[in-house]
Amino acid sequence: MSPWKDWRERRCIVVIPAHNEQRDIASVVREVRRVSGFPVLVVDDCSTDRTIALAREAGAHVLPLSQQLGAWGALQTGIRHAWRAGYRYALTMDADGQHEPVWMERLFGPVLEGKADVSIGCCVRRGSKLRKLAWILLKAASGLKMEDITSGFRVYNRRAMELLSGHEATLLEFQDVGVLVLLRNAGLHLVDVDVTMLPRTSGSSRVFHSWLVVVYYMAYTLLLGFSKRRVRR
Amino acid sequence: MFSLVSGVIGIIAALTIIFLIRRDHLHVRYGLWWIGVAIAFVILGFFPQIIDRLAASLGVAYGPVLALTLGLTVFVIKVLTLDIARSRNETRIIRLVQRIAMLEAEMQRLAASIEPPPAEEAGAKEPAPREAGED
Repeated sequence: MSPWKDWRERRCIVVIPAHNEQRDIASVVREVRRVSGFPVLVVDDCSTDRTIALAREAGAHVLPLSQQLGAWGALQTGIRHAWRAGYRYALTMDADGQHEPVWMERLFGPVLEGKADVSIGCCVRRGSKLRKLAWILLKAASGLKMEDITSGFRVYNRRAMELLSGHEATLLEFQDVGVLVLLRNAGLHLVDVDVTMLPRTSGSSRVFHSWLVVVYYMAYTLLLGFSKRRVRR
Repeated sequence: MFSLVSGVIGIIAALTIIFLIRRDHLHVRYGLWWIGVAIAFVILGFFPQIIDRLAASLGVAYGPVLALTLGLTVFVIKVLTLDIARSRNETRIIRLVQRIAMLEAEMQRLAASIEPPPAEEAGAKEPAPREAGED
């Protein structure tokens, strides 16, 4: 028996940050709407293609950013909006179709049942050897224990949403280590949920697309993870 | 001769700053700092014995080294505070951009009334905590 019907009353929202995702955005939004019936909020990070129009057509509510804020800046806008609007749970996912809506139910489970504040859809099988090495380094620097720290397929409860809406989270550039460390240091309970992910069909990872960016990302995240390591609030 | 050069540099710097403030290229608030720097240049340029005396009392054998070290330290602190201010500004801009997006979406929702807010749907079990603690 599907729990979706009971969950309709729980004020959940699905937040999808998008930057030039006209190829997949409509199908992702439609699929999420079809599977869950939850409202979908697409945060458009200054796309130059038809992302906004297609997302609206597919039934999403669109937040258009006037300046490009990057992946986390866009996502935070969505979480902030959801928090202000009174939603109690927010699921975040990528716009490129690599996160499958069929796993939403499983991901929502621990948070809706109150067993965790945040659940992270993890797919450890994905990624090259280099990416795995990066994960090991990042986990060692930050002290995080999650399996898949870079996954953007997550569910946050209201407490997590409030925390992530704040100023403290605004200067982050990526949603992985910085966000997770912030949540962990605030004493929130994070759980891993095993899911599968599809390979990207269009575009490339916003993080791993050139060597220079990878070096910047690693240096940024290592420094961030390390400097926030022992902060307790 | 060297002292004359740094004194002249100080005077040129001061004039440049006044010109920049006149043309609105520099906020008066920051102009104050730079005028201070220029004055220090002029004073130390024309009266280098100040540095020599200070160096002697601190036990630094060669006066100019003390001047350079102090100058470099002040410079590094200034650049660091600049980056701190920049980070703060960046936070402000990001939050402004986010707020504009939220307001834009809200306006559109009101205009079209696409989807009612969840508070109405669920019979408002708890008040929507708008604005609480947010800028």
